[in-house]
Amino acid sequence: MKTYSAQAQERFSAFFMLFPTFFVIISFYFYPALYNLELSFTDMEFTQLRTGGDWVGFENYIEFFTSNDSFNVAFNTVFWLTAVSVTLRLFLGLLFALLLNSKMLSSLKLSTLSRLFLLVPWATPPVVSVIAWRWMLEPIGGPVNEFLLYTGIISEAISFTADLATVWPTIVTIMVWNTTPLVAVSLLASLQTIPDDQIEAASLDGATRWQQFRFVTLPYLMPTLSVLCLMSIIWTFNNFIYVWLTTLAGPGTYTNVMATEVYMKAFVDLRLGYSSAVGVSMAIILAAFGALYFRVVGLSRMQDKVG
Amino acid sequence: MLEKSLKLALAGLLLSSTVSMAAEINLQFRFNDPQHKEMRMALDEFEAANPGIKVDLKRIAWKDARDQLIRESAVGQGPDVVHSAFVWVQEFAQSGSLIPLEKLVGYSPFKHGFEDFVANDLTYFEGKPYGVPWTADTWSMIYNNNVMREAGITSKPTTWDEVLAASRIIKEKTGKIGYSFIGGVPESAFMVNYFLWSNGSTIVDDDGKGGFKIGTTKEQLVEAMEYYKTYLDEGLVPKSILSQSTAHDPSGLQPILDDKQAMAIVPIAVIRGLVEGYKASHPDKPMALDTGLTPQGRTKGLTHLGGRTLVINSATKHPKEAWLLLKHLISPAIMTKYYGNQMPATKSGLAAIKFASHEQGFANQFANHTRSWGPYSRGPAPIGQIRNVLARSFAAAISGQKSPEDAAESILKDIARMMDK
Repeated sequence: MKTYSAQAQERFSAFFMLFPTFFVIISFYFYPALYNLELSFTDMEFTQLRTGGDWVGFENYIEFFTSNDSFNVAFNTVFWLTAVSVTLRLFLGLLFALLLNSKMLSSLKLSTLSRLFLLVPWATPPVVSVIAWRWMLEPIGGPVNEFLLYTGIISEAISFTADLATVWPTIVTIMVWNTTPLVAVSLLASLQTIPDDQIEAASLDGATRWQQFRFVTLPYLMPTLSVLCLMSIIWTFNNFIYVWLTTLAGPGTYTNVMATEVYMKAFVDLRLGYSSAVGVSMAIILAAFGALYFRVVGLSRMQDKVG
Repeated sequence: MLEKSLKLALAGLLLSSTVSMAAEINLQFRFNDPQHKEMRMALDEFEAANPGIKVDLKRIAWKDARDQLIRESAVGQGPDVVHSAFVWVQEFAQSGSLIPLEKLVGYSPFKHGFEDFVANDLTYFEGKPYGVPWTADTWSMIYNNNVMREAGITSKPTTWDEVLAASRIIKEKTGKIGYSFIGGVPESAFMVNYFLWSNGSTIVDDDGKGGFKIGTTKEQLVEAMEYYKTYLDEGLVPKSILSQSTAHDPSGLQPILDDKQAMAIVPIAVIRGLVEGYKASHPDKPMALDTGLTPQGRTKGLTHLGGRTLVINSATKHPKEAWLLLKHLISPAIMTKYYGNQMPATKSGLAAIKFASHEQGFANQFANHTRSWGPYSRGPAPIGQIRNVLARSFAAAISGQKSPEDAAESILKDIARMMDK
């Protein structure tokens, strides 16, 4: 009885301490989320903020999923924005982490300097990064074009953010430049936890450099990589700022992604109802992906490691 | 004794600051054009003439101004007096963002009444005035005669086909740009409309029965988009025009100043800015810039009668003072002194303007080759949405993202959906 009472007290105490957090989450997350869901079934427009919209059922969802542009938006979001940029970010992050952890940099006394330089892009706010890159890539007077023209590599300035052939690689470059350091630093921290004797043992057993990496280093990095991959995908899938600030989702709607579609429909076309439907669809896709990812990859790997 | 004196002094100080706070009215005026320093001086004059009223000058980009006011006023926030485009007033009024001005006129009426203002049809909603036209303008052709001469072109092209032909000659003979245009969202919508209007069609039209209809066809839209696409396909303009979103974008203007581009369609404020810029950058050369009519198609060339209005936010706590500020800003003396690159939106004010010789083409355009947005603004489809849909599909077509046929179908489908609502 006494034990139960103590447990009850403990639970009450835990609830009491967690209540502010629950309150904040319910007030600032669940309520807006539910309101957003309600809006998605209306034809509410920005000019109707005072009067509200009419109930239209699944009309907004049907319009989004059957629109000619939706495939383009989905492809851009999944392939260019997420798959390409996350893959590059993880690959380059791993490469930089291995380089920073290498004995070569230490012997040249470049470790600290390299780590400092690596942090510069990460410390640069995304807005500043995009503006700086846009300036560098300007067709008239931009340093990149000036250099390419001066060296004779190109004969005519390239409109990096307006040409269909270069606009996506440009956005991905800006994103990867700005966000890779976080991955590199996180992986570097994991690399430094690998005991040296494991590598030495593998080396004594005759393992090649690649085999040491494949069978010793990589398994140690997998839990961190799994979490970084999941976080990167969620964060990138939702990301709005790089595309919007670089191209305003253009030329036309060529670089439109789901996040910019939400913004454009709500705050440019003023269609709050439709925009909410796109937002809800995004949330469902991400939730499904998160659950699947944890089930198939993340959780099992982390459990293996912990176990 | 000392303590008592200090308490008294503190109480006196608090009282006086409370009194002065109570007596002072703080207004906010949001202005979207670049002349913010001049406008600050205009506000200083207002403050000097109206003791007890202070005005804070706020700024915002034109592209964000419309949505921002709707958002703010819905939650009882925002500036008191707001700079608006002609075509937004009815949308603002419909959303409850503005105060109807008829109630405020009594505080200080206009000398010639509301009838003296141009484009009044756009500032009335359900029979009531919600905005006061401040400036009037349109867009016209600007020419750099040095580039034209260099290519051996002696007369100004007058049709769309002649403009294209001249651009080809300029490219071939000089390697420079002939006619260039805005290819990005949102102001590329003007380019499409001007082409359509000069060929006898329009996106939204009166249906003659008190309603509205789509006034163009897929073929007419395709024709417009193919015309502009030719410039990109033939390399007559750089691809960077696809990211040029407004007429004020420096990347679109610099080539005109540098004698590297011959023609463009721009508003009067840009024309005047370019002329000043040209004088400054070529002090020893004669003025090479000149204006003319926009090209004609199957009918005469037409541009829109546009301009700026001043409106009062429904969230204002000081409507009377806001009205006094609005009246101050539209006075001819303030316009002349502080907003000189714009033209007044009153019939009496416009009649008194003496255009410079290089502005004669613009003057002709303004007097004889403009039309109101009329049915676009009065119709059921929000004009902002029409503009966005048009501009996005236009950019998609000329960039190669979509075929002109697909883009035209997309425009018609979206406009029909908006008009059905």
